[in-house]
Amino acid sequence: MQYLTKITARDLNVHYGEKQALFNVNLDIRKNQVTSLIGPSGCGKSTFLRCINRMNDVIPTCRVDGKITLDGVDVYGDDIDVVQLRARIGMVFQKPNPFPKSIYDNVAYGARIHGLAKDPTELDEIVMTSLERAGLLAEVEDRLADPGTGLSGGQQQRLCIARAIAVSPEVILMDEPCSALDPIATAKIEELMGELVENYAIVIVTHSMQQAARVSARTAFFHMGYVVEEGDTARIFTDPTDERTRDYITGRFG
Amino acid sequence: MLRMASLSEAILEKSLQAIWNSDVASAREVQADDLEIDRIDVEIDEGVLRLLATHAPVADDLREVIAAKMIAVDLERVGDLARNVAKSAVRLSERSGGTPPLLRTLADESQRILRHSLDAFAERDPARAAEVLGEDDQVDEDQDRVILDAINEIRAHPEFASQELDYILIAKNLERVADHATNIAEAVILATQARIVKHADKLAG
Repeated sequence: MQYLTKITARDLNVHYGEKQALFNVNLDIRKNQVTSLIGPSGCGKSTFLRCINRMNDVIPTCRVDGKITLDGVDVYGDDIDVVQLRARIGMVFQKPNPFPKSIYDNVAYGARIHGLAKDPTELDEIVMTSLERAGLLAEVEDRLADPGTGLSGGQQQRLCIARAIAVSPEVILMDEPCSALDPIATAKIEELMGELVENYAIVIVTHSMQQAARVSARTAFFHMGYVVEEGDTARIFTDPTDERTRDYITGRFG
Repeated sequence: MLRMASLSEAILEKSLQAIWNSDVASAREVQADDLEIDRIDVEIDEGVLRLLATHAPVADDLREVIAAKMIAVDLERVGDLARNVAKSAVRLSERSGGTPPLLRTLADESQRILRHSLDAFAERDPARAAEVLGEDDQVDEDQDRVILDAINEIRAHPEFASQELDYILIAKNLERVADHATNIAEAVILATQARIVKHADKLAG
């Protein structure tokens, strides 16, 4: 199977003030594949993730040079509407962050602001479908008016995933989505990723080597702001080319 | 692992000496030595399980663990084959006449290949392991000739059939030792170079 390239990063250099966080990063993210970004804390993997949907725009000292494209279009181009961009590139964070609203409204929120539903019936459909696809519907369908914050951690994270997919994104960025979850909730999210990837490109930042090995087809290893090695996940975890990759994934680092 | 390797080499040597010297006592020792190899084999299985469960090794660590498990299987089999040879030694102690010279050549060849593969393992030397891969062709040829000679002897002197049959069994066991030595060399290449070379010629054809 040929995978379409969804996102490309070319000669990406990112500074926070004087400090350079990314150096000449070149990376392709493909559709229908999970790409894992791994590397020690402060290596630039989250910075890279946040550049993709321009989450770094809100940091005044942050300067992004180089090019990131989505379907060939520069996401830092003058005519790009950032709100639209973030509808196409959804994000799930480390700590589940549901809005202080009902379960229903959490999922309906994005669809409402983007005007995706022309009537309440259509909105219901979007909410139900999204909860279903996030694997949460069966657990919440009799209490959709309850606050989202009342759910368990794993359920909250799936609620955030439902909220992200409700606006029909093309790419889902996940920044350590399971680090606050127990193994059962983690397994659910990982299984969900396997289903979602049929429709989306998924990028996940993770500190769990086993998670990267389990869920992703491609893995990129970041170190001190550089992409040291990128490739087929099975190859990276059996026969890494770079010694720094090997040292990191085998736990010999430092 | 290394202890298992040196025990396997030693047990094969002992079983062969038992043949050459009609030494029934040594042949009986082989049975006890093989028990020690089996004990280490179980220890290695336990160690491999523990490592995989608790450390989830990756990269060269993973390949090393997998190769160790593969090599342990081969060494355990070498021990069993030596035991077979020792059984032949007990039966042959009553024989008349000397052993066929070609059987000695075959034994030397098989022992040499086993030693080379174990050296390659001890030194994690893929180049030496690669040299071992082609070396068992001669063993296969010699085995066939020993068997052919034995069949001719049985035809000419049916009264010696039982000892000739043991020569065939020994040749077969020695040929299997060389096969296991080849497997060990392949495991060394997997561990050191991440290449799976077994069945390469067959699968390429």
